[in-house]
Amino acid sequence: MAFAELKLSSGETALLEAFPPTEAGQAARAYLGAAGLPNRRVEAFKWTDVRAALSEGKPEADGSAGLIPDCLQDALVLDFAPDGFGLEGEKDQGLIIETEDSLPIEGAGPLALLAAGFAPRAVVLRVTASQSRPVVLRRHPGAPMRVRVEMDAGTRLNLVDTGLATAGLSTGLIEIEIGQNAELVRYSLQDGKLSAIDLTQAIVTVAEEGRYHAISLVFGGKLARAETQVVLAGVGANCLIHGAYLLSGQAHADMTTKVVHASPHGQTRELFKGAVQDKARGVFQGKILVERAAQQTDARQNHHALMLSEGAEIDAKPELEIYADDVQCAHGNTIGALDDQALFYMRQRGIPAAQAKALLVEAFVTEVFDAIDHEGVRTWFSGLARTWLEGRAP
Amino acid sequence: MLNINNLQVEVGDTSIIKGLTLAVPAGEVHAIMGPNGAGKSTLSYALTGRDGYEVVGGSATLNGEDLLDLAPEERAAKGLFLSFQYPLEIPGVPTLTFLRTALNAQRKARGEGEVSVPDFMKLSRQVAKKLGVTPDMMKRPLNVGFSGGEKKRMEIYQMALLDPRFMILDETDSGLDIDALKVVSEGVNALRGSDKGMLVITHYQRLLDHIKPDRVHVLAGGRIVDSGGPELALALEADGYDRYKDAA
Repeated sequence: MAFAELKLSSGETALLEAFPPTEAGQAARAYLGAAGLPNRRVEAFKWTDVRAALSEGKPEADGSAGLIPDCLQDALVLDFAPDGFGLEGEKDQGLIIETEDSLPIEGAGPLALLAAGFAPRAVVLRVTASQSRPVVLRRHPGAPMRVRVEMDAGTRLNLVDTGLATAGLSTGLIEIEIGQNAELVRYSLQDGKLSAIDLTQAIVTVAEEGRYHAISLVFGGKLARAETQVVLAGVGANCLIHGAYLLSGQAHADMTTKVVHASPHGQTRELFKGAVQDKARGVFQGKILVERAAQQTDARQNHHALMLSEGAEIDAKPELEIYADDVQCAHGNTIGALDDQALFYMRQRGIPAAQAKALLVEAFVTEVFDAIDHEGVRTWFSGLARTWLEGRAP
Repeated sequence: MLNINNLQVEVGDTSIIKGLTLAVPAGEVHAIMGPNGAGKSTLSYALTGRDGYEVVGGSATLNGEDLLDLAPEERAAKGLFLSFQYPLEIPGVPTLTFLRTALNAQRKARGEGEVSVPDFMKLSRQVAKKLGVTPDMMKRPLNVGFSGGEKKRMEIYQMALLDPRFMILDETDSGLDIDALKVVSEGVNALRGSDKGMLVITHYQRLLDHIKPDRVHVLAGGRIVDSGGPELALALEADGYDRYKDAA
């Protein structure tokens, strides 16, 4: 076998030792030993070289998990720390929280295997009735997170996940099963400053008339990748994935999504918008796969990005793969600079160049937040985006 | 007020303005007329500091202060306003947000305090009413989806709100029907004053029926080739620009 020839880097060898003796840990160790870490020779990771970023093994963690914002004071907070997980706040009836030792689902990608491998146990949230309080998944620096959410038919849940480590390796796997006519709304925030490596994967299945809505705000890190895989398994299942990324310095952020339409009458709305400056790098890989059975699919994917400096880089790979013949699918992808004419117009009215740029970028990027129903979260995300814009060098 | 002396402007190594001298005293409205390609818009961009319009010689001062070394926003704060021939659409930025940001940025640059939101709203409503700017227009992103006439009205509305000392109107009449032209002209005339100056750039005389100039200058081949009273505009309307073909 070719894998037998694989020579692991010292970083990979060091990681092998780090997995706990769980079933998922064993699986991760076996996978890593055979295939190594994903690197630029692997198509799906060609712009995000995990092996290179972890060449020295598991880096030292630093930073804080961040404060819970005022708008989420009523939330149930699940804290994921390097040494375990804790719970804070009240929970509604109809939410059962358990832990288990299990393998991730078949066919989960390398990031899912790694995250499941590092996590001591999986935290399982069973939603048997709609939840009025949001659930926050707060990832601490260097912590592994593994969560499975199982939603009964007709239930609703707001999920917020944050990863704000400034250094270290943070991993996350969220598996979500959305029942018939159930709805999960997810808000994600990631900010890794310059040294953090942040690797997360969400694996979502949506049953008949179910809805998965996810809106994220990403500032990147030394290497950050948020991968999302959604299968619209039931008739009329609905998926909305919006993401904004704002990258500066040497930050790297990779947003990779795959939506599979497996049943008829499904709908997907995907919109990513980003602004990248200095030597930062943004990666968008978005695939929508419409299977033969998924007639009357309505899917739209858009990615639009602004390059604010010469040294910045944006890599985009939008893909539509369609096997059904009666569908509406469209995608758009643009990468450009700020409009010089608009900038001059604003300056002629007296708005200084830096402020004019910030206003234009804010207007461009925050369209992504229009899909946020939770007013507090929308204000929170908009405020974070504005702080980034005001802090960036003119 | 505005003094331009022997101004020379290049756009991408091509000389467009070739030694232009012009003085507009406070309280006066001057018109600049000229054929297409004479350098009318280049003059307005060079005065307001747009990138790519390189001043290679001469001077331009407003109330004795040099304009040419200042950034566009600094010139604006000194009271220089350009009403664009083609106003830009700024998607995602609500008109009122844009205007309040502009007004407060100018006030800050001049060392004045910010205008509060209620005061600004009151001011903006008063001005809007006069110019037929609807509340709906003020809520929409700036100029997005506006007709040509609405965009021009919005330019004058901005001008009235920002209350500049010197105004350059670049082809403000283009794209306006006769009714819109009246509304816009009335708006402009209301901003005339003994301490203010105006430069009205136009290809056609008809705007000058509504905004009566004190002086009319003919710009051709990058220079002022003729100057006179309002009667000069009427003569141009009758005879065209042909007689200036060789003057440049």
